[in-house]
Amino acid sequence: MSILSLTNVSKSFGETTIIKEVSLDIAQGEKHAIIGPNGAGKSTLFHLISGRYNVSGGTIIFNNEEIQNKPPYEIARLGLARSFQVTNIFPRMNVFENVRCALLWSSNYRYSFWHLLGRQGELNDHAMGVLEQIGLKDKALFPSGELAYAQQRALELGIAIASGAELIMLDEPVAGMSHSEAENAVGLINRITEGKTLIMVEHDMNIVFDMADRISVLVYGEIIATDEPEKVRANAKVQEAYLGEVASDA
Amino acid sequence: MGIAKKISIWLAYLLLLLALPQFSDSILAISIYNQMAIAIIFALSYNMLLGQGGMLSFGHAVYFGLGGFLAVHALIMIEFETLYFSIIWIPLIGGFIGLLAAVFIGSFSTHKAGTVFAMISLGIGELIAASSLIFTDFFGGEAGVSGDRTYGPPLFGIEFFQDVEIYYLAAAWVFIATLFMYLFTQTPAGRMANAVRDNPERAEFIGYSARRIRYISFCAAGLFAGVAGGLFALNYEFITEENLNAATSGRVLLMAYIGGLGYFIGPILGAVILTLMNSLLSNYSDLWMLYLGIMFLLTVLFLPRGFAGFIMMHQIAWLNGSLKNLAVPYIITGVPAILFLVGGIGMLEMSHSEEEIFHYLGFELVTASLVGWISLTVMTLGALFAARMSLPQLRDAWEEANSLSQTEGES
Repeated sequence: MSILSLTNVSKSFGETTIIKEVSLDIAQGEKHAIIGPNGAGKSTLFHLISGRYNVSGGTIIFNNEEIQNKPPYEIARLGLARSFQVTNIFPRMNVFENVRCALLWSSNYRYSFWHLLGRQGELNDHAMGVLEQIGLKDKALFPSGELAYAQQRALELGIAIASGAELIMLDEPVAGMSHSEAENAVGLINRITEGKTLIMVEHDMNIVFDMADRISVLVYGEIIATDEPEKVRANAKVQEAYLGEVASDA
Repeated sequence: MGIAKKISIWLAYLLLLLALPQFSDSILAISIYNQMAIAIIFALSYNMLLGQGGMLSFGHAVYFGLGGFLAVHALIMIEFETLYFSIIWIPLIGGFIGLLAAVFIGSFSTHKAGTVFAMISLGIGELIAASSLIFTDFFGGEAGVSGDRTYGPPLFGIEFFQDVEIYYLAAAWVFIATLFMYLFTQTPAGRMANAVRDNPERAEFIGYSARRIRYISFCAAGLFAGVAGGLFALNYEFITEENLNAATSGRVLLMAYIGGLGYFIGPILGAVILTLMNSLLSNYSDLWMLYLGIMFLLTVLFLPRGFAGFIMMHQIAWLNGSLKNLAVPYIITGVPAILFLVGGIGMLEMSHSEEEIFHYLGFELVTASLVGWISLTVMTLGALFAARMSLPQLRDAWEEANSLSQTEGES
């Protein structure tokens, strides 16, 4: 059963078409990677699914509900969480507050101004639990804007997964990390997305082929292949359009 | 912070409010306390917008003023027995009107933060201020409207003839308003206001409409600004267009900023400092507005986190007991800095003085003679030079006091 399905999704900015008639089905529990050269429209596709951009055409169905052109907060409430390519946290708040804020809606506090957060034992324990998962428990009271880069990336993940969303979308989660940092991050991603559906954009091919159940290759706004890693690797069109380019780069 | 510590801070605040008239109960002192009380609520409500919610408003006096006008009208109705309740509830009427105005205006002004919000607030401020001069039946034109607080039903025999009685009433309202505004920061809506201030985009991806969060803060700010306006009406028994125009909006911005936006206590400090300047300094110098402007400029340039931020800067040194090591370096830089200020103020005052002999700190300077000017200039520039020369030693001492703490922290 597919948890997310895109049908003929398009996006143009003025005359320029960035995404052309993309159709894609993601199964429940699947780990799906989207790869493609720079400027292929991977981040744009993420923004369309998560509601940051409106689509120019097509439908996006998440858990049997049409979500295209809905505002991001409504999509997030349905259980679709995402992280960002550029670290996107609440820099003037401490690490604990960052995660606790990410938990508020799913814990049903909504816009309450009659609950005192300090007295919500369950919520605070939950937030601490998330911090423990992402390895930032000892930094709980640290100003998040002053964390080291890899720690900010971990917090970025923590904010995305805190709400317990079913579908998690990660945009280049290990970009800019050293090799060992990236290894830690992959371990973390595997742990926190266990039993959930994951869609990720990633440039590091080793990580992609290692983690993904299926891979979609996006080139100039079109998906030219969606398949299991080995079949994608063997696909002639993909080799020509993308992997060949990487190979010749290397 | 432990709950016991928090409660003791609030108890100390309450005791301080109640004890103030014991220090001095002269008419001037009580009048200053009352102004402070009004200013504290107003500045804290402004901080809900700018400090907590990231909304720069140039028109916050609208909610203060509208609350105040309705409060005076309520006083008049009490006087003519159209309404019958004790005047202690008047600030609630102000608050209700402030809330009502914010519910309406916020419904379209909180769409966006940043420049759009700031411009709308400026426009609404001008619009209401202009209307107040047009609709004279309600706003009373330039003379404003006035009432009399002593006609209401007495409360335990108190008829509020005296300012000190109003002070205790104001103290109670300040305490309640401060407590509620603090508690608001501890709720989901209050904390999400910080999140939206920091990063409205990400807030939307964790399930919150940034606009709705801003709207809630905006309404709460309007409510408490109205409470402050109601208290103003009770204290002065009159209100004019001046209390809802841009000058009042600007003053509350200065209070919150100079006090320190990032800290809950900041606007309280700012309200106290500016009220003191307003009511004391204005007795001594016609130039006090100029000094206020210079102080604001210096705060923006050198203390971007305000007075509260300056105090909090010393937290690390304090925690590690190295604060005392800073005393001597502070004095070494502070003395020439104060001399520089004294000299600079002397020059400003002398150029403003219309008398032939200018009295300044026990000296008699002849305004027309070069000697006075030259000696003041030499002193001012010399002090500035000395202060600048002493900065490196202060910087070293500062770094030492703070780095010491780090090594101790690691061990």
